[in-house]
Amino acid sequence: MIKEFISKAQSGEIDIVEHTHKILEEAKKINKEYGYFTAITDDLALQNAKKAKEESKKEKSIRRNLLGVPLSVKDAICIKDVETTACSRILEGYKPVFNATVIEKCLMNGAVIIGKTVQDEFGFGGFSVNAGKGYNAPKNPFDRERSTGGSSGGCAGFTQKTRFTHVSLGESTGGSIAEPASFCGVVGLCPTYGRVSRYGLLDFANSLDKIGPIAKSVEDAAVLLGAIAGHDENESTSSPNPAEDYAGFAGKPVKGMKIAVIKEAFGDGVDKNIEDNIWLGIKKLEKEGAGYEEISLSFPIKYGIPAYYLLSSTEASTNLAKYCGMRYGKHELLKGNFDEYFTKVRSLNLGDEAKRRIMLGTFARMAGYRDAYYIKALKIRAKMILEYKKALSKFDALLTPTSPVLPPKFSDIEKLTPLQQYMLDVLTVGPNIAGLPHISIPTGSHKSLPIGTMLTGDHFCEDKLIQLGSALEQSQ
Amino acid sequence: MAHYNFTSDIAIGLEIHITLDTNSKLFCGCASKPAGNETGSYDGPNTRICPVCLGHPGSKPVLNKKAVDYALRLCSALKCRISPELIFSRKTYFYPDMAKNYQITQYEIPLGTGGKLRLGSGKEISITRVHIEEDPASLVHEGSHCLVDYNRSGVPLCEIVTEPELTSPEEAREFMKRLIAILQYLEIFESSAIIKADANISIKGTGYVRQEIKNITGFKEIERALSYEVGRQKKLFSEGRKLAQSTLGWDSGKGTTFMMRSKETEEDYGYILDSDLVKTEITGEWLSDIQKEMPELPEDKKQKFISRHGISPLDAEVISQEKKLACMFEKIAEEIDPMLAAKWLRRELVRVMNFNRQAFNGLLIDESHMIELLSMVEKKEITEQTAQKILEKLAVEPFSPIDYVKKNKLQAVSDTKELEKICIKVIDENLKVAEDYKKGNEKSLHFLVGQVMRNTKSKADPKIVNELLKRYLKTS
Repeated sequence: MIKEFISKAQSGEIDIVEHTHKILEEAKKINKEYGYFTAITDDLALQNAKKAKEESKKEKSIRRNLLGVPLSVKDAICIKDVETTACSRILEGYKPVFNATVIEKCLMNGAVIIGKTVQDEFGFGGFSVNAGKGYNAPKNPFDRERSTGGSSGGCAGFTQKTRFTHVSLGESTGGSIAEPASFCGVVGLCPTYGRVSRYGLLDFANSLDKIGPIAKSVEDAAVLLGAIAGHDENESTSSPNPAEDYAGFAGKPVKGMKIAVIKEAFGDGVDKNIEDNIWLGIKKLEKEGAGYEEISLSFPIKYGIPAYYLLSSTEASTNLAKYCGMRYGKHELLKGNFDEYFTKVRSLNLGDEAKRRIMLGTFARMAGYRDAYYIKALKIRAKMILEYKKALSKFDALLTPTSPVLPPKFSDIEKLTPLQQYMLDVLTVGPNIAGLPHISIPTGSHKSLPIGTMLTGDHFCEDKLIQLGSALEQSQ
Repeated sequence: MAHYNFTSDIAIGLEIHITLDTNSKLFCGCASKPAGNETGSYDGPNTRICPVCLGHPGSKPVLNKKAVDYALRLCSALKCRISPELIFSRKTYFYPDMAKNYQITQYEIPLGTGGKLRLGSGKEISITRVHIEEDPASLVHEGSHCLVDYNRSGVPLCEIVTEPELTSPEEAREFMKRLIAILQYLEIFESSAIIKADANISIKGTGYVRQEIKNITGFKEIERALSYEVGRQKKLFSEGRKLAQSTLGWDSGKGTTFMMRSKETEEDYGYILDSDLVKTEITGEWLSDIQKEMPELPEDKKQKFISRHGISPLDAEVISQEKKLACMFEKIAEEIDPMLAAKWLRRELVRVMNFNRQAFNGLLIDESHMIELLSMVEKKEITEQTAQKILEKLAVEPFSPIDYVKKNKLQAVSDTKELEKICIKVIDENLKVAEDYKKGNEKSLHFLVGQVMRNTKSKADPKIVNELLKRYLKTS
């Protein structure tokens, strides 16, 4: 759809500025009911749109892969001079002095930034209900009583709800792209760790964080990935491997490709309706000529959750240390010594889940516990990568549901303990810990609630996921 | 340290922090020192800062390889084993001088381990580890306020830790001086920069209960603080009082240590890997490049001075310990008798500098001055006394010694007839003193020599004057 939009924009059939006005208007209307945005950036959007319109009149030889395309951005990604808080009150009023690398790249490609979207505070959650103090949880586009999923909930919700061409930049640490995409019936593509620069992303867990597209179609997600992937000299963990023409893999025949269906991802705790829908998809892929085999891969399912929560929380507990009301963000009345002041700022302004993760993570890295928790979790991650690599040496992708459940009601989420909530990440944490690319494709619905199928590929094999994902999508 | 097998009465270990003299900071492109190379030049607070060294949300570190080069040179000079990969960790604690409330440092695997440094006595002190870390910002106390200057934030530091093998405060000072000499030869250390150390010290009497003195500035202060602490611990022990393991501060003004915290409240930094930085492989190629660039070290110079120039080991030792002196000596020794050069550099030049409270990095005299001066001494064109006086003047304001001697007619009186006349004149004027000498009073001769020297304005050789006077006093 992006491709169609751009050719219309270039032919003059679509006026980029007018289109931008329309989507901004729509975004405001939707936002009132569903609460997807922390900020709608009218001025920035119109400024981007005018520039894109100028570009559209120039020689077509200049490639602008997102020319005039409206883009929403997860709040954790820095946009220069736009309040960036990762939905935490502790960063209230913080306006970055620089653009994240992904923002620079999108702007270079002619994107129109329409706003920043709601998320769980710093990404701590799977339902966007942990948005920080002063923020409200976004509502599922299919049922306002239900969750969008999280933590990139605002991205996924608006991508579904808008009737215009639109893509979104989400971020995943343990499943925060695939899971909300699944709950909102859109495509979520989480790339390989290191494929996209994290420069300008507010850190949750540095060894796990990945920025990636949420889109209405696999092809759109591939276009956005193509725009943001690549090496960044400001970000040491970004891969030197060159980016590919990902969009070129959308719609390619899948004949001869091989898929592994993970046995442990079905059965106990997995909604039967989801299971049935997933199998329909598998059969359709088979018809297209892609073979499948059921395999057992129990290690990530068994140890993924504890390893993920230990690693992500230890890293988060150090990342959040900088937020203390001293240099930026929320300040309080300066009283007492620095320790008392920092404690006051953090106590008043961090949300409950953020505090829980800080405590959990700090505990796991303290002398006496470090070896038993932090170091052991690192070892589990290393073993998990080996297990995945072994399986992926024989298959092009692994297939599971994205989530074991349909989008839950807010009233049901409230009843869950934190541990029960963490357990619902069971299918997404594995690929995330292993830094593997994965994609969630909307493959159907039950009682008008969307269902997502997840494909996981080997490191830097986003191309195969796009190829298989677009076949799965088109078979619906 | 707990397993260390102590034998000496006093056991001292040092933990030394030195600033690596790189152009830019350890993890960003900001200048690590003020523009212009003048010592002590200052460009105002918070002028060399960026999102990375300010710890802004979303900023990420990128390693400055030059700092690693410098640290590798040091590891090589200290004969350390070098880790095949460079890994950084986060040391987390809250303090207002910390931009991120964690410091990027090295923990499990330091860059260098198992090194040694040889003292003058031939005793070798074991180096436990050498690692790289970032400097915090500096705090400026102004009245009731405390201001933070981030110019220093992120400047590369090298930490050098010794085993507790130093057995006296004097030895600790010698160790520091030798380390500084090595740093100067390696050209990785700005000689005007402040060197800081933490020292742990324990005595046999107490059963080696360790006291750590934090943040002592300069090697003279280290000796002072340790001497004070030895006295304090011995006194406590003789009074039968128990000593608990503790961390102390050093009050230079009062010349005393003071309690900071006891072991029970020892901090736990909860180290984890910094996954914003990738592992850096220290390749064989890199190490061989470092070896190629390695300059001669003080020990090499000393051996060369003894074997090639035939000067005494003591002169060679003193001269080699000061890089500037050693370089000067090498150049002078090509033109002048090395024995004479060594004597003049080691004794006369050092005396004049001490008198003027000059440091070697502020030295105005260079080898050309010394060569001119000493060539006249060597050819006996001027007396040593004249040369000493010229040297004193040179230290304040350099000039050409040869021109100066010509202009002021300071050539030695080599005409014996002229000298004879003066000697006879002096004896005639001091008949009583002459008589005293004849009666056996040796001191009387010194007086007469002095009178002759005064009459010649020190231009006569005192040895010749001595002989002439003796001859006349016998015959007269």
